[in-house]
Amino acid sequence: MAKKKEKVVGDLRIGVYVCHCGLNISATVDVPELVKFASSLPDVIVARDYPYVCSDPGQKLIMKDIQKLGINRVVTASCSPRLHESTFRKTLQEAGLNPYCLEIANIREHCSWVHADIVKGTEKAKRLVASAVARSSLLEPLDVKEAPVTPQALVIGAGISGIQAALDIADAGFKVHLVEKEPSIGGHMAQLDKTFPTLDCSACILTPKMVQVERHPNIRLYAYSEIEGIDGFVGNFTARIRRKATFVDWDKCTGCNDCAEACPVKVPDEFNMGLSERKAIYRSFPQAVPNKFVIERDVCIECKKCQKVCKPDAIDYDMEDELVEVQVGTIVVATGFDQFNPSLKPEYGYDQYENVITGLEFERLSSPSGPTGGKILIGGREPKDVAFIHCVGSRDETVGNEYCSRVCCMATAKQAHLVKERVPQANVTVFYMDVRAFGKGFEEFYMRVKEEGVFYRRANPAEIYRRSQRLVIRAEDTLLGKTVEVEADLVVLAAGMVPNINTQAVASLLRLGRSSDGFLMEAHPKLRPVETAIDGIYLAGCCQGPKDIPDAVAQAKGAASSAIAPMARGKVEVEPITAVIDEDLCSGCRICEGVCEYGALSFDQQKEIMTVNEVLCKGCGACGATCPSGCISLKHYTDQQIMAQIGAILSHVR
Amino acid sequence: MSQRHRKKIAIDSLDSTFKFQVARERGGEMIVRCFDCGTCSASCPVRQVNERFNPRRIVHMVLLGMRQQVLTDDFVWLCASCYTCQERCPQGVKIADLMIALRNIAVREGHIHPFFSVQMKILSKAGRLMEIGDLENKKRCRFNLPPLRQDASQVRVLLEKSGFLSDDKEGKGD
Repeated sequence: MAKKKEKVVGDLRIGVYVCHCGLNISATVDVPELVKFASSLPDVIVARDYPYVCSDPGQKLIMKDIQKLGINRVVTASCSPRLHESTFRKTLQEAGLNPYCLEIANIREHCSWVHADIVKGTEKAKRLVASAVARSSLLEPLDVKEAPVTPQALVIGAGISGIQAALDIADAGFKVHLVEKEPSIGGHMAQLDKTFPTLDCSACILTPKMVQVERHPNIRLYAYSEIEGIDGFVGNFTARIRRKATFVDWDKCTGCNDCAEACPVKVPDEFNMGLSERKAIYRSFPQAVPNKFVIERDVCIECKKCQKVCKPDAIDYDMEDELVEVQVGTIVVATGFDQFNPSLKPEYGYDQYENVITGLEFERLSSPSGPTGGKILIGGREPKDVAFIHCVGSRDETVGNEYCSRVCCMATAKQAHLVKERVPQANVTVFYMDVRAFGKGFEEFYMRVKEEGVFYRRANPAEIYRRSQRLVIRAEDTLLGKTVEVEADLVVLAAGMVPNINTQAVASLLRLGRSSDGFLMEAHPKLRPVETAIDGIYLAGCCQGPKDIPDAVAQAKGAASSAIAPMARGKVEVEPITAVIDEDLCSGCRICEGVCEYGALSFDQQKEIMTVNEVLCKGCGACGATCPSGCISLKHYTDQQIMAQIGAILSHVR
Repeated sequence: MSQRHRKKIAIDSLDSTFKFQVARERGGEMIVRCFDCGTCSASCPVRQVNERFNPRRIVHMVLLGMRQQVLTDDFVWLCASCYTCQERCPQGVKIADLMIALRNIAVREGHIHPFFSVQMKILSKAGRLMEIGDLENKKRCRFNLPPLRQDASQVRVLLEKSGFLSDDKEGKGD
C-alpha cells in the first residue's frame, strides 16, 4: 500500500449528474430527492438531473459546469461504466478536464433494475452516490500513453470467414498472416454442394476466393499450421506458428497426384465425411489451395512408392516441424465449428445403420465432386423414401446444447429440394418442430420446397429402428395427436453446429472468454459483436456462434474493418490504470511475478526490485493483492480511494 | 377419442396458476420449458397399448391450466415410470417425475385412483401388495423356502405417518 497522501490540486469542486435514463432509473429511484441529497455532500458544488445524461445536451450540461463553475471532479449517477464510461471520459476531455477525474455511480444495473421499491431504491442510490463522491475526491489525473501498432494482422482459420477477413485486410493494404490447420483452406463451405436459398454452387463461389487468397501479394498463407503461442497486446502481438511437417517439399510439389495413385495405404477421407477413402499421401480435395500434398505419417507405412514416382522429387521423409514467429498488430479469430456428433443420440441409430447420415454427409453425397459424382445413392440404389430430421443436437438439453443452430432448417429445405431434383419420384418427409426461415429469401425458398412436394410433418422423432431392410421412424405427429411410423431408405439428420473441438485451446492461448453455449464470447452481444474482451482480437464466423454463409461473411467483414482500424491509425492508447511499485518498500521477493497473467512484471537485477511494464499491465490488481510488503498499488484504484468508497457506504448504515 | 376431448374448453374454467403450482412441486420444475415436440409421446410404451395416454397432451393441459381435468382423469395414473420420455426429452422436462408430481397434487386434493385405494387397503392389511395365505406358503414350502408371516404392523406405522390411514382419502377421487 502506498502510504503517501493523495494530492489534490487546488480546491475540490465536485459536480454530480443524476440520469433518469428515461424510466429505467426514475421509476425506482426518486431522482429529485437523490439530487437534493447529493448537493448536501461535502465538496459538491452542483448536483443536477437530466433525462438522458449520455445524450448530447446531457453531456453539454457537464461541459458547461466544468468550464463555468470550475468543476474538477465529475460524478455521474447513471448506468454501468461498461456502457458509458468512455462516453463521459470523452466529455471531460473535451471540456479540458483529465478524463480520469470521472466516477460513475451505477444506479441502474446495481439499483433501479434490480429493485422494485422506490423508497429502498432511492436509499440505495443515495449510498452509491455518496460512495462515488467520496472516491471522486481522491481521484488523480492520469496520462494516457500511446503505443505504436505493427501494420500486420493475423487471421486464425481459413474457412469462408477467415478467407473473407484476410482478403478485406489485405485489400486495405496491410499484410496478413493467414493460418489454417488443414492442408487446404476452404473450411466447411468447400464441402457443401449448393447453398440456400439461391442454390449457387458452393464451390463456384468459394474457389475463386481461395485462389485470390493464394495470389494476393499481401497475404502470407500458412496451411497445415497451428498457433503455438500468442504474447503481447493490441498493436504489438507476437504469434508463434507451428508449420507442421508435410513431408512433401511444397516448393517442388506440382499437385500432379502421381504420388497418391502410387500410395497403397487407404484411410477414410475426412473431406468426404468418411464416405470414401483417400491415401496416406493426400490433398484435401482436387481444388485445394494450396494445391499441394501432405503425408499423414501416423498411417504411412514408409514403402516409399510415392518417392519413386514423384517426378519433381518433392518427397522428404526427414522434414521436421518448423516454428515461425510473426509480429502482428491485430488478430482475427475464425476457427469455425464442428458438426454435432449424432452418436450422442443413440435412439437415432447413426452408428448402427449406414443409411442414417448427417447433413454434411448428404452434402458430399449430392456434390458433383463427391464420391458418387452427385448421384444420391444408398447401397448403390436411389432411395424411394427419404426422411430429414431437424434439430439433431440443437435445442436439446440431453446433449447440453440449448441453442438453435440457425442453419439446419434452411440446409434441410435445400437438401430436400436436391433430393426432389435428383430423384424426382422419391417421397421426401421433413420432421420439424419449428421452421425458422428468418433470412432474406428463406421463407420464399421454404414455400418453394413445399410446392415441390416435400412433406413437412410436425414431429420430433423418438427413435429409428430397422424393420426388414427398411428404416422406421417413430414419431408423434403432434398436429394429428397420433403416433406415426414412417418408413424410409435414407434418413438425413440435420446435425447442428457445436464449437470447434479446438475452441478451448484457442480460448486459452488468446485469453478469450466463452459463452454458456461454448462458443467464443464477443465483447457485447449487440453493440460490440466482433470485438472480444481483449483489445485487438476480433471474432469472425461460427467460432462466435452458429451462422449461415451470409452472416459469417458479414461478420468477417466487420472483424476485418475493426482489425484494420488500429493499424490505419498507427497507434493505440494504452490505459494508464496500471500497477505502481514503491521502490523503497519492494524486497524483490518476486512473488508478484508468478501471479501476473500478462507478463508485465520483471525483476531488475541491478536494483533487485520488481518493475512494471506499463504497456503490458492490464491493471487487474492481482500483484497488489499478493505483495507481502504491500508495496504495489494500482493507479485509479488505490487503497485510499476504495476505503473511502466503502466508508461512505457504511456511514449511511443505520 | 373420448367425449371429454371433444368438449370445448371454457377459458374461465382454466387455472393459469396451475403450471406454477406444478413447477413448485418436486419433479415438475421444468414443465414450462416444453415445446410440444412429441418425443415423449412417441417414446411411450404405455401409449403403444393405449392411445388415450399422451404425455405431451398432459403437459399441454397443465400449461393451459386444465387443472380439474388433469387431476381427476385416470391418465396421470397410467404412466409406468419407465423414464424413456425423460431420457429423450430435448427440453429436460422431467416427464416421469412430473407424473409423480401430478399424482402427489391429486392425492393431496383428494383425487386418488380407485385402483390405488384398493392397493392401499391390501397394503395396510397384509403389509405387502399381495395377501399371503396357506396356499402361497405351501408353494414356498415345495421350493424349500421358509413360510412368510402376514405382518402389517411396520407398514401401518409408515402409512399412518404419511397420512394414508388417518386421513382416509381413499376412494374420494373420481
